[in-house]
Amino acid sequence: MQREKMSKTTALIFGLNRYALEIQASVKSKYDSVQIYALAGEESAIEDIATEPFDLSDEWSEIKRSIKIEESIAFCVLEDDAQNIFLAISLRAHFENLIIVAIASNNESANKLKMAGVNQVIPLVETTADIIANILEKPISNRVLNSILYEESALKIEQVKITNAEYFDEKPINDIDWSRYKGIIILSLMHEDMSRDFIYASKIKNHIIKDGDILVVVGFENDIEEFKKCIGSK
Amino acid sequence: MLKRLMLDAAYFLQTSKAYQAKKLYIYNILENNENRYKKYIDIFMIALIFISVSVLIREVKYPVDDTLHFFSTYVISIIFFIEYLLRLWVSSSVCKIIVAQSEHDSFLSREIKLLKALREVLNVKLKYIFSIKAMIDLLAVLPFFHELRLLRVFILFRVFKLFRYAKSFHTLASVLVTKKFEFLTLAIFASIVIFVSSVLIYVMEANNPESPVNTLFDALYWSIVTISTVGYGDVTPVTTEGRVVAMLVIISGIAVLAFTTSIVVSAFTEKLDEIREIKNIEDIAKLKSYYLVCGYESVAKELAKKLQSSAHGIIILDSDLSRVEVARQDGFIAMNYSPASTQSYSKLNINFKKQVKAVLCLRESDVENVYAALTIRSIDKDVYILSLLMQNTNRKKLEFAGINHIVYPQELVGLTTKELVGKPAAFEVIHQLRSEHAHVDIDEIALTERMVENFPTVGSLFNKRYRVIVLGVFKGDSDRFYFNPIDSTLLQSGDYLLAVGYKVFISEFERSLHAKRKNV
Repeated sequence: MQREKMSKTTALIFGLNRYALEIQASVKSKYDSVQIYALAGEESAIEDIATEPFDLSDEWSEIKRSIKIEESIAFCVLEDDAQNIFLAISLRAHFENLIIVAIASNNESANKLKMAGVNQVIPLVETTADIIANILEKPISNRVLNSILYEESALKIEQVKITNAEYFDEKPINDIDWSRYKGIIILSLMHEDMSRDFIYASKIKNHIIKDGDILVVVGFENDIEEFKKCIGSK
Repeated sequence: MLKRLMLDAAYFLQTSKAYQAKKLYIYNILENNENRYKKYIDIFMIALIFISVSVLIREVKYPVDDTLHFFSTYVISIIFFIEYLLRLWVSSSVCKIIVAQSEHDSFLSREIKLLKALREVLNVKLKYIFSIKAMIDLLAVLPFFHELRLLRVFILFRVFKLFRYAKSFHTLASVLVTKKFEFLTLAIFASIVIFVSSVLIYVMEANNPESPVNTLFDALYWSIVTISTVGYGDVTPVTTEGRVVAMLVIISGIAVLAFTTSIVVSAFTEKLDEIREIKNIEDIAKLKSYYLVCGYESVAKELAKKLQSSAHGIIILDSDLSRVEVARQDGFIAMNYSPASTQSYSKLNINFKKQVKAVLCLRESDVENVYAALTIRSIDKDVYILSLLMQNTNRKKLEFAGINHIVYPQELVGLTTKELVGKPAAFEVIHQLRSEHAHVDIDEIALTERMVENFPTVGSLFNKRYRVIVLGVFKGDSDRFYFNPIDSTLLQSGDYLLAVGYKVFISEFERSLHAKRKNV
């Protein structure tokens, strides 16, 4: 039964701690299955959570057999940075296409995790300090960004993939009158190679929008849907 | 009758708000180092001192202009006398003593002993009058009677008044006072050596016609010059016996000098931390607005770095000395005081209402954060408190402690991953806007009346020219955010524009809003 479910999209969380539980709660609606793996000794820390054991020298044969790596994501949340980095390297060595997200207690560990092939690092201390600095120094923008990002407000931030680039008549970005798309604001452009540029960046002012580009837009849900219809986003 | 009159006057002055406010004001500008105007009064008085000393030096050999002489002799003396009287007035409260005596006697149901109160008043005032500072102040006024030539030299007492105005002299004196016993021992030793050597050299040399030591005063002079290791050489022993005495005095002199140096150095070493702390407390008192950070651990370190460029200062309190040292090495004002003690705040003279922008409880312990927050809340009910939460089960306790904003890092990780998983590109953009290190920033531009006069509507802004996106307008009066408002939206003073763009362009855009429209 479990194996059948694991063959669908899966979030793999390595480490059993408060971060793991928060991540489990946050991503369970987006993945068919969320599986927490606990190191020896971690199980006793939090009871009543279904976990699978693992150790850092694992060959991950069970995971290889049972999940679709391309559609899965792994979270490395071990509290010991050295162990977390070793885990990330181990996963990357076995799964080239797996998306790996890891937490890091400081910038030094964050850099090492990036070197270990982690796709996205969440530096705990820096992120917390950034949030507090924003609360204190930019209370209004913090409120607005929070409502856009985390809360159930009418205002949304979306990434819109372009599949109908002809709509822009091969005009450079600088010449497109974005203001005619009432209700939305284009913030940035993501290229096919995942690199990102602010919409007013000089280096993309002559960029011709093509299919596959992704625009990051802010706006009300209906306006974003209207925009999507125009540019053929699926 | 007179007694009744005096009592009524004392009660009236003691309860008069206007009188007490004036007295407090005078006290503050003369005696309170934290008063903003005191330094100007001090500078003014120092200037007067230098003028009168300059006049004294000048008139030794050259004639001095009559006006300047008049100013130095009379005007400055009168100013100093007024200052003396004011200091005498604020040094103690006469009416307070009389009222206290009256209350005491009334409580015991006996006749009010006004004479006893007056004796107490006299006692207190005389104590002030005969204090060294007050004596110097009074002697500095004496050159007013300059016709008595001897009194002219009292101008030099004005120089001593400098001690009153220079804080470093107070520090020096307070440091040296701690070694009173050692200095007394040294003085006794030096006096004995000087006395013995003076007598000896006099006995050995006075009868020798070739010796310059002819009187006991010559002997005393020689002894002091020799023991101090100055050794002018104008008076020297010529007899063998006298030279033997000289050798002993020279050796004693080296010992006295070494002893003196070591006392002064050890006094300063012992008091160095205290001096630094006093300096830090003075620096804190001068700050107009600051963040009070309680605890200097990982989040606090990172946050303090981010807030360094803020318009508000940062004061760090931590009960752990090693963390305080780290904070000081990082370039912050850090004090080794417990954030959970009310005494810490009174010792540091922290004014929560006027100075503290926000209190940040950033210890990685909920117990410590709650304790600190409750302490601060007991002092000030309104100050904004933000705290870290380490265990979600403690959230209610933090709320109960009166913390305004709780930041739970684990929850942030959950929310971050949720967005990261769902909309990675969008998340990245928002993360970039929030990060201090990114080039693209989101900024809040407060609209002033001048800006609104020049740019009355959203459509009149030139944000596109500066490659800046106006995400929306926050209306302070309705506490609402208007996303991407239409061009005809009216702007009001007190509104905030949320601008997104490169930091440098946002600054340019903001500058253009301050400029007159025709200049844009």
